[in-house]
Formats: sequence, C-alpha cells, structure tokens
Amino acid sequence: MSAVELIASAVREGRTTAAVAANEVASRLEKTAALNASLNWSAERLEAEAARVDRASPSDRAKMPLAGVPIAVKDNIVTTEQPTTCGSRILEGYVSPFNATVINRLRAAGAVIACKANLDEFAMGSSTEHSAFGRVKHPDDPSRVPGGSSGGSAALVAAGAVPAALGSETGGSVRQPASFCGIVGIKPSYGRVSRYGLVAFGSSLDAVSTFGRSVDDAARVLAAMSGHDPLDATTIAQPPLVLDPPRRDLKGLTFGLPAEYFPRDLHKGVRAGLDRAIKAVKELGGTIKEVSLPHTRYAVPTYYIIAPAEAAANLARYDGVRYGQRRVGPAGDLRALYQATRGQGFGAEVRRRILIGTYVLSSGYYDAYYRKAQQVRALLAEDFRRAFDAGCDMLLTPTTPTPAFKAGEKTEDPVAMYLADIFVCPVNLAGLPAVSVPVGRSEGLPLGAQLIAPNLAEARMLSAAAALEAALDAAAEVR
Amino acid sequence: MAWETVIGLEVHVQLLTRSKMFCGCANKFGAPPNTLVCPVCLGLPGALPVPNEQAIRLATQAARALGCTVHTRSIFARKNYFYPDLPKGYQISQFDQPLATGGTIWCESPERGRIGIGVTRLHLEEDAGKSLHDRIPGKTAIDLNRAGTPLVEIVSEPDLRSPAEARAYLTILKQILVYAEVSDCNMEEGSLRVDANISIRRPGDPKLGTKAEVKNMNSFANVERALIVERDRQVALLESGGRVEQVTMLFNAASGTVKPMRSKEESHDYRYFPDPDLPPLVLTQKWIEEQHAALPELPEPKRERFMTRYAITAYDAGVLASERPVADYFEAIVEAGAEAKSAANWVMGEAMSGYNETGRFGVGADRLAKLIGLVKEGVVSLQAAKRVYPELVDRDDDPRAVAERLGLLQVGDAAALGAWVEEVLAANPSEVDRFRGGEAKLMGFFVGQVMKKSGGKADPKAVQPVLVEKLKN
Amino acid sequence: MSIGRKDVLHVAKLAELAVSEDELPKLTEQLGRIVDYVAQLNEVPAGEQAPPYLAGPDKVTLRPDVVAPVPLARPPADFAPEFAQGLFVVPRLGAMEDQ
Repeated sequence: MSAVELIASAVREGRTTAAVAANEVASRLEKTAALNASLNWSAERLEAEAARVDRASPSDRAKMPLAGVPIAVKDNIVTTEQPTTCGSRILEGYVSPFNATVINRLRAAGAVIACKANLDEFAMGSSTEHSAFGRVKHPDDPSRVPGGSSGGSAALVAAGAVPAALGSETGGSVRQPASFCGIVGIKPSYGRVSRYGLVAFGSSLDAVSTFGRSVDDAARVLAAMSGHDPLDATTIAQPPLVLDPPRRDLKGLTFGLPAEYFPRDLHKGVRAGLDRAIKAVKELGGTIKEVSLPHTRYAVPTYYIIAPAEAAANLARYDGVRYGQRRVGPAGDLRALYQATRGQGFGAEVRRRILIGTYVLSSGYYDAYYRKAQQVRALLAEDFRRAFDAGCDMLLTPTTPTPAFKAGEKTEDPVAMYLADIFVCPVNLAGLPAVSVPVGRSEGLPLGAQLIAPNLAEARMLSAAAALEAALDAAAEVR
Repeated sequence: MAWETVIGLEVHVQLLTRSKMFCGCANKFGAPPNTLVCPVCLGLPGALPVPNEQAIRLATQAARALGCTVHTRSIFARKNYFYPDLPKGYQISQFDQPLATGGTIWCESPERGRIGIGVTRLHLEEDAGKSLHDRIPGKTAIDLNRAGTPLVEIVSEPDLRSPAEARAYLTILKQILVYAEVSDCNMEEGSLRVDANISIRRPGDPKLGTKAEVKNMNSFANVERALIVERDRQVALLESGGRVEQVTMLFNAASGTVKPMRSKEESHDYRYFPDPDLPPLVLTQKWIEEQHAALPELPEPKRERFMTRYAITAYDAGVLASERPVADYFEAIVEAGAEAKSAANWVMGEAMSGYNETGRFGVGADRLAKLIGLVKEGVVSLQAAKRVYPELVDRDDDPRAVAERLGLLQVGDAAALGAWVEEVLAANPSEVDRFRGGEAKLMGFFVGQVMKKSGGKADPKAVQPVLVEKLKN
Repeated sequence: MSIGRKDVLHVAKLAELAVSEDELPKLTEQLGRIVDYVAQLNEVPAGEQAPPYLAGPDKVTLRPDVVAPVPLARPPADFAPEFAQGLFVVPRLGAMEDQ
C-alpha cells in the first residue's frame, strides 16, 4: 500500500487521526530543516489543519480520499493561511486573500496542508538555487541540487518528510527534480488541473503537478484535485481523473523510443537506467518501437521564447502598487517606485527572463521570435501526434540528460542551465501528460525515466508507470 | 476653404452587464472605492480571467447594429503597459483578430447631407480603474471598482470632414447603442468616452496630414469645440510655415483650449500577444444571427416606418424615434386608439417636457389616448385637455373624471351658453355696436371671450349660433 | 552579439526594471547569449499559415453574467503597501500624470 493510502485509510477507518499524522510530519519537517526545502510552517498551523479533518463526521471522513494526508505545497500556489512568496523578495510576507482551487479541492478531499515548499523564484530555474530564501539541498548529497524549480517539494518527499507534494511545471519543473531526487513526478495534461491560484509563469505551459515516493501516491493526489474549474478558462471540460486499476504487465502496450532522446553522447548512467527500463518493459510484455521526433532540438529555444514572453506580462503585476514589497526610488515618483520595486524585488534569473520576454515581444522582433516560436511549437506537437498515430501508446525517454548536478555548476551560464530541461520541456510545449519514475542509481545518484502519453491519457500512462515501478529496484545501482 | 479636415474617432463604451468582463464583481457606478473588487480585477497573484457571456452578446449586438461583420473566431490579446490603475500591467483587449470589422454609420452632415461613415472595427476589452489626483495631497489614489468593466472600442475610418460631422456621428452612434440596450452611453459617468484623431490637408491631396490625438472631452458639444480649436491650431501652424507634430492634446473645457500632454509620447510599444489565459472566442454563425435577430428596431428604420405608417413629418418622426422610450410611448398611445398626429403632438409637447425632467412618462399611454379621444369627440376642448393633463401625471385618475371634477366638460347647452354670451355682450358694448355696424370679423373676438368666461368649458361650435342669435337683437 | 547595451536599457525601460551600470555588462553578455541561442529557431522552415498551437480547450468557455465574486479573506487595506480613505495610494505620477 502506498504511503498516501496507508494514512488515508487509517484516518478514514478511525485507526489513527489526522492530528497524529500531522504531528509526525511536524517532527520530520524539523529533522529535514537543513535541506532548506520547507517554508512557512508551524506545528500550530499543522494542528489546526488536521483538526478540520478530525472534526469532520465519521461518515464525511469515510468519503475523503486523502483523509489526513499531509501535503507540501510549492510556494507559488496561493493559500490564505500562510504567506505565498514564490521564493521572491517582491512577495515576501504576502498572504493571499484567496485559496487556489487545488488547495480547496485537496482540503475537501481531507488533505492537510503541511507546509509551503521552497522553489526557484517564480518557478524560474532548474536547480532551486534561485530562491530569495536560499538554495534547496539534495537529500542524498547536500553539495548537489535537487533539480527545480519544484526542488523544495521534491526534496521534502524524497527525504520522507511528507508522503506527497504539489509542484508546478512550466518546462519540466516537477519531472526533472523527481528524477534528480529518485521519486515520482506527474505532469498532467494541460487543462486537466485548474491553474486558478497557481501564480502564473508561462500561462500556456503551466500545470500544477504532483510528487510521491510511488506512482500511486502522486496519482491519488493528482486525481483528487483534477477536473474542470469554472474559474480557469483553460481547464478542459472533463470530470476529475479516474485512475485505472493497477496492472501487472504491459501486454498490448507499445512504447515508442524517440531517437532524439537517446543521443550517442548521452550520459552513461542515464543510458544504463533507460536500458534497464526498456528491458523491464519487454519482460512485462510491452512492445518497443523506434520513433523520431525530429524537432526535439528546437524545444528548448522555443520554450525560452514562449515562457519568458508570457512571464514578462505575467510578472508586470508586481509593481508595488496593490500588494507585496514596495521600494521607493530616489526620484520619489511613480516610475522610480516601479523601477526600484521591480529592479530590487526580483532576482537575477527572473530579471533576465523578464528582459528576454520583453525583447522577443517588442516592436520589430515579434515575428522573428515569438511568432516563429509559436510555429515551431505547433511542429513539436505534431511530432508527438505522429508518433502516437504510428501506434505508440506512450513514449519512453530519459527524464534528464544527467543525474543531479553540483550546486553553482550552472548558475553563471543560463543556457547550460536551460539545457537541463531538454527532455522535459517538449512535453509542456505540446501540453501532454508525462510521468517520471525512478529506474535506479548511478554513482549513488537517482535516475529517472519518463513516460509521455497522448493528451488526457493519464490513467493508462499511470497504470503502466506503476507496473514499471514495481518491476524495477530504484535503489539499485545501474550498469 | 483652403484646408480639408480629416477626423477619425475612437469611442469606448461600457457595456450594460450585471458583472464585470472577466470576473463576478458587480458592474456598477458609484459604490465606495475598492469595494467592487476580487482577486481577478485586483490582479492578485494566481487569479485568472473568464469572459462574461453577456458582454460577448452585447458586443455582438452592438457590432451588428453598426452593420459590422462579426467574426466566428476572435482572439483576446494582452496590451502591455504600466499604469497604477491597470492592475495586471496589461489590459486584456483584442488586437489583430477583433470581434467585428467593417460597418457603417449613417448620419446627417450639416455640410454634406447624408453620409456613411465607415466603422473599421469593434473589439472587446476591459476597462482600467481610476486614478484620482486630487484626493490625497501630493499623491495619486487608485480606485479599482471600474477595473474590469466590459468595454467595446469602436474605431471609425477617417471619414469625417468637420467637427460638426464628428458630433453628428457621435449622436447617431449613441442613439443606436442606447437603442440596442448595449450601453447607457452616459458621458458624465464615463460610460462613453471619445478620443479623436484629427489632421488637415489640401483638398484633393490623397495623402493624410500628420494627425494629433485629442482627448479629455466630456460631452459631444465639447468634442466639437475641441476639434474646432485643434483644427484651427493646425491651420495656423501650417499657414505660418510650421509643421504639425504627432502629439496628444488634452482639451480643457473650462478654458476651451487644447494643450499637449506633458509626458513625451514615446512610441508606444504595447507588445500585444494572444492572452494565454483565454482560448479563442469561437461563436457560431447561428448564434450571431440569433443575437442580431434579438435586436430591437433601430432608430433609422423606425423613423422611416413612422413616416409611412403614421403619415407624420420627417421631423416629427425623427424626434419620436430618437429615443426608444419616446418611440414606444408614442406607438402605445396610437395603439390605444389615439389619432397618430395628435399623439405625436402630445408626446412632443406636454409629455416630452415631463420626460426630459424625470426621464419617464408620468401619464400612461392608455390614459393619454383617452384624453386625446375626449378632445376628438368634443367632450373637452384642447385647451381644457391641457388643463386636465397635469392632473393625470403620476395618478391613476380617469381623464374624463378629472375633466368633470375640474368642471371642464364642454358645455353645448344653449341656456348655459346664453348666460355667458349675455355677460360678454354686456361687458363689451362698443364691440357689439361695431359688429352690428358690419364688422363681422369681431365674431372671433366674442367666441374667444365666451371661451375665456367659461374657463374653456364652452363648446366653441355651439357658442357661435347662440352669439349670432343674441347679436341679432 | 545580437543584443547590445542599448537594447538592454530599452527593454529594461519597457519592463520598468532598474538595471544598474555595474550589472549592465554582464547582463548584456548573458542576454546576448540567450538571444543567440534561441535565434536558432530561424533555421526551422515553418509553415506561415499554421495557426498557433494551443494546448487545452480550443475555444473559451464563457461565464454566465452573474454577480458572484470570489470573496477576499482579507480586505485590500491588509495587503496594500499604502492605503487611505479606501484607496490604494502611490506617489505622484510625474510625467505619467496626464495620460
């Protein structure tokens, strides 16, 4: 039984209480404080959260799929009970006057919001080094990064502080840290989960996503918060996700291996991890098929036009007028206020992306950059469609080109940092669901494999991921 | 005239919806500041816009009423600029794929007669909040109640050739939009706002001159005034060998002058791009036609129908059709049995002065029709009817009963008339002598005196035979 | 290098971001590298006609015209940096004033 179901069933059946689970989480959050992964939590608030579940009538509680399950929430998802900072000075101390739809839905499902989780500022980064509140450390090796931008959530789950966590993806920000930390990260189809209350980064790419130590953990949390939301015009008119029953084999399923995701110079450990996954697929009765996604190499440049362009507009609201930190510039007038508030409130990576995004939309450059990127985006999506049309039920790829890298290794070279997302960001551009599952370790560091499925095919993708997970010893060193 | 004036107008109109364009806050004027706000219109982190169906409907109706083609697919775009009353740092608008394009507004030019002015486009957008510069000394204060109010922007072709034409265009535009119940077009409350582009050139020159934008006019009359001032400024400039700069001019109604805005108009770079929070707005042709069909009869066709159906003058038809409540009231009176011409006179006379004061008609159409009927049947004189009318305002009384109570029913009875006639003759002996001496035209004077004596009650048709009889002796 | 100091200052102004003289050289260099990197898209022959790709719904769903705002757990006065007489307060707009 998964960690989530273990707690939820015990609380539902009255064998334990949400308060007991919350208490346990509080002590684990204390023990893992050195990771710098959790933000803004307190034992009192945890108790109050748990009390809501424990006060519910037994019959109501019996219907809660996540009764008493403590969940860490990436700090770019708004909550009314604690600050939502987005890892930024500009929102330091900001407490949202409304809750995200996913928070309301998780609470209705009985979940307990355990803490907010550290992140790259405004979810911009691949290492969780770009937080105004300090970098997050990899649970297995503090000198390394946990990945990002949802590194705080990933580290908390990997370290066993919470059984599940929410992250958000714009270009792989959940699958990539899941892979680095040796846990499961699920990115749903675009529009499957409401973005209302997720602080926008790249609105056409953003997706609230989940972490667990098993596919089942992450999938249950995803299912509980999925479904159409009248407050988000980009959610799909679909009822909540219904998970498939677990499967023991992969018979009848075809897994495409896109050649572009297996370059000749692929990291040897990553390659070995994928070989192990491919072998497992075959042993479970699945079929392997070579495919090509010819535009893959253009995904990262496409992403680094579209995401910053949207971000530049999305982050214009942080102007020091209505909320957040205000800094008054030397001239004392409004323009000085804007420039000082934004110039000092945003960190280096966020400022770079705002400037790039402003540049690619500005007069004279729109066609060469933004319009071109939209066209290439369509080609990337078409690549995936062709592969699925050719008979692939899903695609199997590495999640990351390397295991977790060292802190500081890429902070001075933005392009090198962006390339850490080369295998994950095409999925966001196409809006597809994908999951990263651990496949083993290389030199002690976790490795992940990624399954990518057609739009809205989460249920089949997740049952296949669970079968694969069961067949692999993620703790074992790959060769 | 040595110069031709070229004017194009951009008109922003707030739509009459219950709630705002992209959120569930109330769309209303006059609430305490920052009380009609929510995460969406405050631009809070994490909030998302969802378009208001009724705003789309009203915009579609407005577009069709102006003869525009409404597109089955249009795109919301972000217009990026910083201003403290613009909460998100961008305005959700429409850019290269607007809701509607290509309409015409027909109006009467004082110089050119009937002219068709092209409507380039009509698109949907959200209003900004309000910046108040006089509320807190040395500071600017922001009220976001208005932020997110649904707007349509209606852009005309540069087809207008004089400030008076601009005013005529605006008058007709407003008439149509108010008719369609799309907007109340109240300029004082800011629900209709006008920006004008104006340039001058030599007649026959195919090239447009450099234009100036004129803003800050709070009435149609001021639009005309501002454009006259700006036109004259440009003429003086060019005639003295100067050059018109592309500037934005602010009109000052108190001084009747325009002056350039203080801020340098840097070439605005709004960095429009499709709003990723809003998938394309897709409408079916069927739905568009349904909205068009639901439009009421518009002023122009109504005017024509009134002329042919009721045989009234073009002028009367124009006045009656200018506002929908007036037209509806007129037709209801006719419907209730009154003769059209009398109904028109009553509506444009007594009834209109009350309507202009209170914004409504105080006498129900059926009762006014009854009063008109009483005049026609000779039960009361027109003069008496006008004394009855005020007694009917805001009351339920029957017109005949009121006439009776006031003793205004016409008297045709020879005995009663005889008494008034004798009093009149006794009071005017010299006129009697002159009449008897052959001055027949004094009959009118005697009838008038009798009417006066009777307080309007005497039936003028019955008075004359009695007079003739008495004057014989 | 595709992007120079002037471009950086121009977009910084559009984005209302203060950029100090000290950081300008490094920032220009980094932004230049990013722009050069993303410019490789120009080698892709892309159909000009193709509509932009949309993940999620292909048309927007509309909201009925009902007054039902998402309530605020705290009023604006609680989160505004400066608030008086029911109004958000900012310094004088200076040159922006008469817009």
